[in-house]
Amino acid sequence: MSIDFPHRQSAHCESGVTANLLSYHGQRISEALAFGIGGGLFFGYFPFVRINRLPLITFRSAPGAIFKKCVRRLGARVRSQTFASPREASAALDRALAAGIPQGLQTGVYWLPYFPPALRFHFNAHNLVAYGRDGEDYLLSDPVFEEPVRCPRGDLERARFAKGALAPKGRMYAIESFAPDGDLAKAVRQGIREVCNRMVRAPIPLIGVRGVRLLASRLERWPERLGREQAVLHLGHLIRMQEEIGTGGGGFRFIYAAFLQEAAAILGNPDLSGLAEELTETGDLWRQFALLAARNCKGREGANSTFSALAEQLRDCARREEQIFRALLKVV
Amino acid sequence: MSETSEFTKRLKQLIVETCNIPDAPEDVPEDAPLIGPDSPLDLDSLDAVEVVVAVQKAFGVRIGGEEGAREVLQSLRTLAEFILREQNKR
Repeated sequence: MSIDFPHRQSAHCESGVTANLLSYHGQRISEALAFGIGGGLFFGYFPFVRINRLPLITFRSAPGAIFKKCVRRLGARVRSQTFASPREASAALDRALAAGIPQGLQTGVYWLPYFPPALRFHFNAHNLVAYGRDGEDYLLSDPVFEEPVRCPRGDLERARFAKGALAPKGRMYAIESFAPDGDLAKAVRQGIREVCNRMVRAPIPLIGVRGVRLLASRLERWPERLGREQAVLHLGHLIRMQEEIGTGGGGFRFIYAAFLQEAAAILGNPDLSGLAEELTETGDLWRQFALLAARNCKGREGANSTFSALAEQLRDCARREEQIFRALLKVV
Repeated sequence: MSETSEFTKRLKQLIVETCNIPDAPEDVPEDAPLIGPDSPLDLDSLDAVEVVVAVQKAFGVRIGGEEGAREVLQSLRTLAEFILREQNKR
């Protein structure tokens, strides 16, 4: 049993799954457009929330939010379920596939056997689409892979019920009904406004450009507060959150800039192209920060990669992004 | 020798200098993992940032956006193919 599902590779799993599910239902959109309409860009620094003893630093909105917001803004109805047991979850997946409905699944990466061992890590908010079954193997469209993959039932059940932070609890989601003639321009505007509000109008100092400035002031004091070893661990963690795990680099800034370029054409507004270029430059600035921070971690630092210099770089990112997102608010 | 093979040698030299690897092996298979525990150059994810920025400076090609760094940085060959492909687009 197999559904004719349009697999496309993407940089980030949730926006890739969202774009692919929408394409299956007749609205062919890019990963960048799905990310932007879903209001994916974010900055949050939550020093009191710890993951593996390190502070939560995130460059994207909460897991599941991109899919939910994007498809709803495009006028689709969504069905999302969690389950008490692997058996129940697999039975529901089998029923849905037999009915010809591809299903988005939240999984833990560590238990997916088709991931090379070097890339397996304990991250429980990985997204993929199940589009068929061949005996005891599920046919999967995992957007971080070039081609569709197969996964035995037992392994998929373990991945769907991985334990720990962001445990998926068998979460399965699908587009229930969709008429692909929704107001794309309206959805684009809604997505942009949400991100702008978060970046420059957040009421708490942990989010948006205020969050970047808070991180800068904390980072500056990490060596004296934590000691060199812990400070470097924190710095390495920040670089990984920014440049790895499917961000497309620059903490999702490059993907969001690609979205703004598409938005310029959809809304017929060339100002958005200019802002996309400015955001790409900011992505380069974030990447430059990561480069200097990596040199610090490796003990190869110079005058421009001390903790104080890195904090200044972050403040520069915040200053430029404040200008960009305030300008963006005026455009939409 | 193909265009890509010749280019991978140049890339390897750039990476060795950028990431400061004095004891780099002479021969690095084009398809060997570039980053991670199996990397013959012993590069980790922090070195990957160095490589991405060095490639942008040397060849004017940005690795990012929808074509993720993970795919591009799989091996010297995938990196070389990506750069040549992007340069040919111009």
